Amino acid sequence: MTLDRRRFLALSGSVAMLSLLPRFALAASSTTDTRFLLVLLRGGMDGLHALQPFGDPGFAALRGAFARADGQPAAHRLDADFALHGRLEFMAQLYAGKSLLPVVAIAPPYRQRSHFEAQDCVENGTSGSGGSTGWLNRCVAGVPGSKGLAISSVLPLAMRGKAEVATWSPPMPERLDPILWQQLQLLYAADPALAATFAAIDSDVGDMAAGRGGQAGLRLPQAMASAARFMSAADGPRIGFVEDTGWDTHNNALGVLNRKFGELDAGLKAFRDGALSTWNNTVVAIVTEFGRTAAINGTGGTDHGTGGVAFLAGGAVQGGRIAGDWPGIAKAQLNDGRDLRATTDMRSLFKGVLRDHLGIADAALVDQVFPESRGTAPMTGLLRRATAA
Amino acid sequence: MAQAAASAVNRFGLGGRGDEIAVVGGDPRGWLLAQIAGDARDDSFAGLPDSGAYLDQYHDYLRQRRELRAQREAGKAEEARPAMDRRGLRRGLQRELAIRQGVAATTTRPFAERLVRFWSNHFAISIDKFQASLFAAPMEREAIRPHLIGRFADMLLAVERHPGMLVYLDNAQSIGVDSRLGAQSARRAQRNPEARKRGLNENLAREILELHTLGVDGGYAQGDVAELARAITGWSVARPADRERSRRDDAFVFRAVAHEPGARRVLGKAYPEAGEAQGEAILRDLALHPATARHLSLKLARHFVADQPSPALVERMAKAYLASGGELAALYRAMAEDDAAWSPSAGKFKSPEDFIVSALRACQLGADGDLALSLRLQAQLGQPMFQPRSPAGFGDVAADWGGPDALFKRVQAAQALAERLPASRDATPQALGVAALGPALDDETATALRRAESVQQGVALLLASPSFQWRR
Repeated sequence: MTLDRRRFLALSGSVAMLSLLPRFALAASSTTDTRFLLVLLRGGMDGLHALQPFGDPGFAALRGAFARADGQPAAHRLDADFALHGRLEFMAQLYAGKSLLPVVAIAPPYRQRSHFEAQDCVENGTSGSGGSTGWLNRCVAGVPGSKGLAISSVLPLAMRGKAEVATWSPPMPERLDPILWQQLQLLYAADPALAATFAAIDSDVGDMAAGRGGQAGLRLPQAMASAARFMSAADGPRIGFVEDTGWDTHNNALGVLNRKFGELDAGLKAFRDGALSTWNNTVVAIVTEFGRTAAINGTGGTDHGTGGVAFLAGGAVQGGRIAGDWPGIAKAQLNDGRDLRATTDMRSLFKGVLRDHLGIADAALVDQVFPESRGTAPMTGLLRRATAA
Repeated sequence: MAQAAASAVNRFGLGGRGDEIAVVGGDPRGWLLAQIAGDARDDSFAGLPDSGAYLDQYHDYLRQRRELRAQREAGKAEEARPAMDRRGLRRGLQRELAIRQGVAATTTRPFAERLVRFWSNHFAISIDKFQASLFAAPMEREAIRPHLIGRFADMLLAVERHPGMLVYLDNAQSIGVDSRLGAQSARRAQRNPEARKRGLNENLAREILELHTLGVDGGYAQGDVAELARAITGWSVARPADRERSRRDDAFVFRAVAHEPGARRVLGKAYPEAGEAQGEAILRDLALHPATARHLSLKLARHFVADQPSPALVERMAKAYLASGGELAALYRAMAEDDAAWSPSAGKFKSPEDFIVSALRACQLGADGDLALSLRLQAQLGQPMFQPRSPAGFGDVAADWGGPDALFKRVQAAQALAERLPASRDATPQALGVAALGPALDDETATALRRAESVQQGVALLLASPSFQWRR
């Protein structure tokens, strides 16, 4: 006996488990219905190729031939100094409409060159890799009534923690023996380590599994479209996470980046198109764990560096300008003589968005969300309309 | 004691199959130790191409693609049909994956087989990168299996010289800037500013230090990364001409013309210039570094014993490894003989691969269709074979694989696998449960299995049950 899963979940009449875990109130009450999506590009996106500082004489010296090589689409000039890579066409449109804000020379407080530690740091919100919970999870806990969603089959570190957060990935064929399901409910209730996880299948994730999908691996545009579908629902998750891999370009980077920037651009457009109704209340933060070397290495790529670029996109963003302090890429200006010096701590960017967009109080930002960040002030002026209490 | 036999089979092995728990009987440690002997080559792989043969296939593919392009440009597209394409190359890979899955499903030395998979993941390469995809499975066969019980240094050297690793982490193209090739390239770049200056790539060197040997807190600096990268310039993959000339039968080639001249300094020690031997000497020292011993011991203990193994156990394992001069057998033995490895608090949540392989073993499934389905399901559960999303490999703790969505997919996968059981099968779900889990099968689950409406439903219940999700 098999049963369509959505129908089965409706029939089973199970009670949603949303109140399973206690929340701790961090925020001043936030009544606005804002949305925040974090997009993590794993592998270290080449920020100097995404946002090309052609006004800096160092760029022509280090990267000129690379940026102008055969097959490179013409870049989109943003102002006198910076241009977006040619494949970032939708992002250029957003910039023109003042809904895209690039932040230059940014990095997490971690300043070594391990991908894995740097990603941990971006996700757990500390300067090292010690924390086993994520700052996005702490945000979910801190915004009363909010829900969190990671578009991923397993929970990323950024979303791990006490607050209940759903994961979603394309479902496998939807049919399930209801008797099997009933018996499993009894057995899992008796397993202390798995009971809560199993119970949670019936709430949010169960509803989400009715969505459409297909392959095991999600490409960024599909993942972004899924995020839009869930997050634009009236009672949808306010805090979301999407990840993408394949940005570690040590070798023949031009072709790979052409493709990856195309995916990123299509992904952002898919999100905007799918979340039109909430777009004006939305901030999408696109970040990566670190930048790459300023010079091209011996195999047509770049190695791990420090300062990268981050992008805020969305109708709520005060865009159409370049944020952050540009340190220059003349030889003497480089970090360790090899890569862009970071002048902005990524936590400043996050704190600015969380305070002014989600209404999380300053004290909570320092005490809970980003402990050890007391000396790192939130960036200001990121948003069109501050919503902080 | 029955619990110890079940632990040997489920936590150290790949999940109970048939009468395995009974075979282990009262001597679980002895059963494990008997598998730490010889190596881990397996007859099932006999007749598969070696990486040299795959390399020749790949070169043929590239040559045909070049010829095809030339013919197209000459307007003769009609005549140009490729004899070989990417899909053809991928078919060979699919065959490798299915055979490998079959070995895991049926082996009678599951502890050794699990160790093979542990090292494959330690030295992760991904078939995501097309150029490396042909070599992921052969790398395990050629570089890991033969050295499973021997010195770690030998495994390390075999892996870092394997075309899979050299291509995946970009060392194949890396050249020293002051090497003959580097100087040539610099002269060319001077004449023509648009020409790309070829040179160093430090990707492999960094991951050797961070992931393969010392570990991220192992006390190396950026300077050590660059020096190691220079020391292994010239470690590359044979071209067709090299293949014809070479006396070696593998696909590795040392290109002296690409090797950076001069002495190198890594972790404070100087290594004189000696061509290929320079990098080898550094790797041999790294293999015996105390940080490496701790890093390997922690990872092994985390894989076999618990997400957070006791530091004392890790310390004892590292000590045994160093005392033996870097013998892997000594490391495994130190773990298997330590009481901490058998404590009641030891236990692991199954990864998707563990889940799928143990399900195949519990149901004694192994036909081609079963294996193909199992590979698909494994990918859908988030752990596609030889396809980790980074050189750090797949995660190895419960937090990497838990979560409602993932658990729900396991229930679906359990149902799909149970449907593969032939209808006439006379084993009852309860008997399969006892054989698979031994005393780890709790009374409630056993009762539910007895009450199942059909064999298929009962087996689905067994595989989806909470007890089956653990290696205890």
